[in-house]
Parts: sequence; C-alpha cells; structure tokens
Amino acid sequence: MTQVLRVEELTKRFATVTANDRVSFDLEAGEIHCLLGQNGAGKTTLCECLYGFYLPDSGSIFLDGREVTIRSPSDAIRLGIGMVHQHFVLVPPMTVLENIVVGTEDLAPIPNMGIAEKRIRALCEAYDLDIDLEARIWQLSVGEQQWVEILKALYTGARILILDEPTAVLTPQESEKLFQIFRRMAAKGLSVVLISHKLNEVMESDRVTVLRQGRVIGTVRPQDVTKLDLSRMMVGREVDLRIQKSTLGAGALALEVRDLCVLNDKGQRALNGFSLTVHGREIVGIAGVAGNGQKELFEALIGVRSIESGEVRVAGKDLTNARPKDVADHGVGYIPDDRFGAGLIADFSIAENLILGRQDDRRFNKGFLFRRHAVNELAASSMRDFEIVAPSDKTITKTLSGGNIQKVILARELSQSTVCLLANQPTRGLDVGVIEYVHRQLLAKREQGLAILMASEELEEIFKLSDRIVTLFKGEIMGILSGEEASVEKVGLMMGGMSAAMASEVAS
Amino acid sequence: MNAAFLVNRLGIRFERRPTTSVAMQTVAVLLALAVSFLVSASLIHLAGADVAKAITLLFKGAFGSQKAVINSLVQATPLIFTGLATAIAFRARIWNIGQEAQVFAGAMMAYWATLHMAGLPRGIVLPATIFLGFLGGAILGGIVGLLREKFRVNEIISTVLSNYIVLYALSYLLSEPWRETGGYHQQSAKVTEASRYPAIEGLSPLHIGFLIAIAVTLGLYVLLAHTPLGFKIRAIGHNPRVAAFKGINVASMSILVLVLSGGIAGLAGSGELFGVTHRLRFDSLQGLGYTGIIIGVLGGLNPLGVLLAGMLFGCLLQGALYMKVLAGVPNAIASAMEAIILLFFLCSTVISRYRVRRLK
Repeated sequence: MTQVLRVEELTKRFATVTANDRVSFDLEAGEIHCLLGQNGAGKTTLCECLYGFYLPDSGSIFLDGREVTIRSPSDAIRLGIGMVHQHFVLVPPMTVLENIVVGTEDLAPIPNMGIAEKRIRALCEAYDLDIDLEARIWQLSVGEQQWVEILKALYTGARILILDEPTAVLTPQESEKLFQIFRRMAAKGLSVVLISHKLNEVMESDRVTVLRQGRVIGTVRPQDVTKLDLSRMMVGREVDLRIQKSTLGAGALALEVRDLCVLNDKGQRALNGFSLTVHGREIVGIAGVAGNGQKELFEALIGVRSIESGEVRVAGKDLTNARPKDVADHGVGYIPDDRFGAGLIADFSIAENLILGRQDDRRFNKGFLFRRHAVNELAASSMRDFEIVAPSDKTITKTLSGGNIQKVILARELSQSTVCLLANQPTRGLDVGVIEYVHRQLLAKREQGLAILMASEELEEIFKLSDRIVTLFKGEIMGILSGEEASVEKVGLMMGGMSAAMASEVAS
Repeated sequence: MNAAFLVNRLGIRFERRPTTSVAMQTVAVLLALAVSFLVSASLIHLAGADVAKAITLLFKGAFGSQKAVINSLVQATPLIFTGLATAIAFRARIWNIGQEAQVFAGAMMAYWATLHMAGLPRGIVLPATIFLGFLGGAILGGIVGLLREKFRVNEIISTVLSNYIVLYALSYLLSEPWRETGGYHQQSAKVTEASRYPAIEGLSPLHIGFLIAIAVTLGLYVLLAHTPLGFKIRAIGHNPRVAAFKGINVASMSILVLVLSGGIAGLAGSGELFGVTHRLRFDSLQGLGYTGIIIGVLGGLNPLGVLLAGMLFGCLLQGALYMKVLAGVPNAIASAMEAIILLFFLCSTVISRYRVRRLK
C-alpha cells in the first residue's frame, strides 16, 4: 500500500505539559487507522497539529513523501486533510446544502448552488449516503448531522479524514452504519484517522496506534491482539474489564416515580407518563440515546425542572416539585451528564466544588464565616478516598483532566446521597481506567444499600451494572427487562423505538 | 480547549496560554498605565499645553504635599464605594449600571431624613444618616432586583433608565421643595452641623467616610472570600445553572446582591453630601457611579484591587484639577484619561493571556 501521511518525532508542549512527545506514525491510502488512548494521552493534540490548529514545537509531517508545514486549517484543507470535530459546526436553521456550501466555499458573492448540489449528490452516491440536501439541520438526527460534517470535508477534497470520537453520540446501529461508510471511503482510496477510546470499534479498524502520556506505545493490527492487550497498552497496567457483580436481594422502595410528564426547554413533552420504581441495593439502568428524555427526567427528580403532572416519592416522602435543596436533604445525589454545565463550577477550586451545596451546613461554617479547617479536611479526605490527582485542593477545577473532574463530582455526590443516587451518563468521555473506577464505586454504593438510577448510552455499561434495564425512547418507556431477559440486540432495537414484544420477536 | 489562534502572514502567531501568572498580569497592568500616560500626554499636547509642565503638575497636584494626598483621598472616597458596588454586582454577573442613580438615592434618602431630625444629638443623627444613605441605594437596587427576578426585566436596561428617573426626580426636588429659600442655585440649604461627617483628626478635610470605605472594602473582601454567603454570590456569578442544581436560590441571591450593591453605592452619595459639600446638589454627585464601573473593572472586581484603583483615580482627579488651574489644560482631559486607562487595561488583560510565537 502507498503511504500518504507520515509523522516523524512530533513534539508539542503546552507550558509544562508535553502533550506529544516525539510521536511518529504513518497512514496508508485506503486505511482506517485508529488513535487509541486515555483522555490526555495526546490523541486530540496530535490531530490538531495535523489540521493546523497547533504548530508542533519540533518534528516533521510528510504528505505523499514531501515535507509540509501546516500553519492553519485552511492549509490543511488545501493539502486534502479534513477534520470532523466532536462538536459539530453547523447552522441549525439552514439546509444541508447551504451548510456544506457556506462552510467550505471561498464564498463568491452569489455561490453557484446548482453546481455545488451536483457535486454533493455525486459524493452521496459514491459513498451511499442517503440524506436529503434540502432538509434543515435541526430536523436531522445526530447521526445524520455527522454525515453532513463528513460531506463538508469530502466536498473540500479531503483525502485524509480525521474524526474526533465520532461514535460518542451515536446508537449502536448508527455507529455500525458509520463504519460501513468508512469502509466504502477506504475502498475508494481515502484514509480515515479515528480518535477513540472504545475498544469495540477500535477492533474494527485496520491498524491501531496506542498513545499514553503523549508517547506512542505501539502500532498494532487488531487481528494480532486482544482487547485486553490494547487496554493494557493504553492504561499501562492490568485492567479488569469484567466486574463481578454480586447478587443482592432488592431492598426497600427508595424512589417511586408515577405518571411523570415533563416539558423540555422548547416546551414540548419530554417525558410522557413515565413510571418507575427503584429499590435499595438495586441499579436500574436507563438505556437510550441521549435526548430521549433522560436529562429532563433527572432534572425533574432533583427539582430544577417543573413537573407538569405525576408524582415523585423518595423513601415514601412526596418530593414532587420540591426545591433542589429539599431533594438533596432527603439523601438524593445527582451525577449529571454535563460536568461543567450542571455538575460543578469550572472556575472554582476543587475544595470549593466539593462543598458546593453544603456551604450552609453547620459542619462547614460558624454562622457568618467558613470553618476553614472543616473544609480543608473534607477536601483532603475526598481527594484521598477518590484518588483525585491535583497539585492541591486550591487547584482550579477546569485545569484537571476529565477523569479527575468526574471524581470530584463523584466524591461530592456519593457522600451526599444516602438514599438514592441518580447518574446520567456517568462515564461519558472517560477512559478505561476511570470508567472501571466509577463502576466499582457505583457497585460499592449498591452493596451499601443505595438505590441507583443510571442512564447511559453505552450498552456495555448498562449490561454490566444494571439489575433491571429500562429502555427510553422519545420520553416513553419501551420496556423494562430484568438483567437475564435483556440482550444487546433487543435493547438496541428498543432504543430505536421498537416495543419490547416486537424487539423480542425480531431478535429471536 | 482549542486554542484561540490567529495566523499572521508576517510569520508570527498568537497562542493562548494555558494559565496566566500574577507576575505577567502585573507587568501587563503597569505597561497599560505607561501607555495610557503616553497617549494622554499627546492629548495634552493637542490641547495646546506644555506636556512636561502639565504632567509635573498632575503629579504635584496628586502627591506633591500632604495636603495634596489628603485631597486625593477625599476624591477617592466616593469612587471606592461605587467601585465596590460594581465589584459585588459584577462578581455575581449582575450588570448593575445604576450606581449613578443609587448614589443620588442614598444622598436623597439621607437628606430627607435630616429634615426630620432637626435638634437630635449627633450620636443619633450620624449613624442614622449613614444607614439611610445605604438604605436609599439599597431600595433602588432591590427594585431592580425584583423587576429582574419577578418580571424578567433585564437589569442593564432597568438600571440605565433608573439613572434618568432619579436624576430628574432630584432635579424636581431641588427646583422647588428642597431648594434653599431665596437661593439662586439649584441646591439645598446646608445640612445641620449634627449630621455632618466629622473630619479625621489632623487629616481635615478627609472625613470619616474614608474610614467607612476602608471598612466596607475589608468587609466585602471577607464576605466574598471567607463566607458561605460570598461563596453563593460567586457561585451564581460563575454558573447560575450549576448553583441552582446544587440548591442555591439564584433569584433571592440576585436580589440580595443588588440590594448590597445599591446600598454601597448609596454610601457614596451620603458621604459626599455630609462629608464634603454639606448641601444636596448635582455637580458633586454626577459621574461618581459611572466612574465606579471603570474602577470596579480596573480593580479586577476584587475589593482590595478596587481600593487601589479608587485611590489611583482619586489622585488622577485631584492632579487634573491642579493641572487645569495652573497649566490651562481642559478639565475633560481627566475624564479622557480615565477612559484611556480603562481601555488599555482591558487590552492588557486580554493580551497577557496570549503569547507570541514565531513560525519557523
């Protein structure tokens, strides 16, 4: 095969942190190449150097055997390198066609839409992308929006496509479809660079380059290794991918939700007659693609979103439309999906985030002034117990890695929840080592008798932890399955809106 | 995450620093001050005055003698209050632009009260006027807060409008009901001896308003840094959504912030009335609120920084007064200098977050 891209000894430093330390790797034509590594391993930095966001401190990049300097994304595009970011850059009220043309053309005063449309249709046909060019972005599913981003890159003539965690927001079926598209692109000679930390999809690529702490640990072919090998390379130690979950009899009724109806931010029904019970010593997993009412459910439960009708009880006490403080005081903790949007304050120190919500607790203040001693003690013990790695408890939270940030939330919420813990996507964006840690913490809390309601898009996680699995689609429960009844296929189909009975039939 | 970047065809580019050090920021502020003086100097030159002489006079007027320093501090006193009023509101991301009205309201409330306290001893009148000065501004701030939280009225709009409403209300009061009988100017009669702020021993005309300003500065510093209340104020400023998720009542906290902010601004008004002019009139109060916004921002919204910035501007005003009289430099230059300092300061804080890199 012909080599299209080669990176030699690339180094990129940020102040004291070396994000990429003499990184070398190469890319062949028609190859799907995966960059695997934990958060902070340097995958994204490497790609951003390739796309001209950053200028490497040293090292060289060769394109078709010729050395190049990529100073800006426009340089990269000219050289045939395209990138699809984790967060899409699309204008929701505009059509697919307009988004592709406006985002890419060196705009003539009046762009020639006719010619553009023809070219885009040809691309869609070549890669078998079934998308309505006249549809407005907001009408599309997340998966389809991603196709638009890919089309944008192809439209500018990309031969090398870089994608930053493309499957993070997709259902299993959508991810599979995406990989089919990659296969077709590769078959036509395009090269795909994928950033990922999901071992399943990594196994589907042609080659994998594993990064750890800014260094390349090795480049391997998936057929030569096992998932365990890869996770060992990635984390640098043995990782237990299988967690033993003890069988516990469910305890007392802790959370009771009846006929809940809640509106979303646009004023539309996000939950429609949602009913569920969670007992102590039980983890109930909510499977479903994000945006099907999970966020609204949790927000209604903790008292920050008003409940139109229905009832919420925690340990028998009616907490329908209660104030957030009252809900917390009744022993309910919440781990939100959006860490900085809902979980903690980016510009606060670790210690401040750890007492957030408990600042009025007499333990931490003597009326007007804080008890520094008590606050420091809490910070020290939390950082020790939850293995939060930081220079000190005064460190500003936003400078921490994703895993440590999540541990700050865990430390606070786990100690606050005495009856019930709510968790929305508790491991989103975390790497294997931390995911394993979060899972162990959740299971430990289960053993202690807590009732846990957790929503996740990762079916693997749902299956690993849950005693019962609830599938949520468009604000309604498609079915509640016990751990034994559920299969990935069945739940996957239900996540797409199929009823439990139908899904069983199709699956069998 | 993604660095903000800017590619320059000259072969350099700017990259965002992950962190900005205190030393770096100090250098940036000092540079900003130096550049501001350069630009101001050229303004003075354009105004037709002798630059060297004018600048010398500026410094002499501000620091040249003990009396100059004392006068600078007198000028600084109300600005420290309005700067602190800005700091507490802006820390909570509440854009109170109504310090101007709150200054007036504080003075008006306290003045109104003295009309009904004739003959009472100083021991009662003095604390009462201080408290009522605070109350006047606080009520106005509270109204803005209620409008904001109950009716979703944007506080920028309501505070800016309140500046006009209160200004015209005072104009009415001073044109008839409160006007000095037989007086020619639009001003009140002199306030009673008992209500006047005593001067600090040996530092006359510096009055106890300055000590109150220092006390409020320290109080606000402790409040923001070391108390649960200040913690909640900072929390709603950084991220009201997260604060609400963690059980903080954002609406009542916002109203409280506006009450405190308005009250502190009100202290500037009563301080000028009872400490300096001893009459209720416009000219001495006008502009204190707006300048306070500049000072709050210059002080980094930190009470101690505000104290420093307030004193700096007090010196600037006092020096400019001297410069105007002795070098014939127009008064407006001082206001222009305030704005110039703010602009360069704002630029410097942004620039200090970036570093320049040379492309190979």
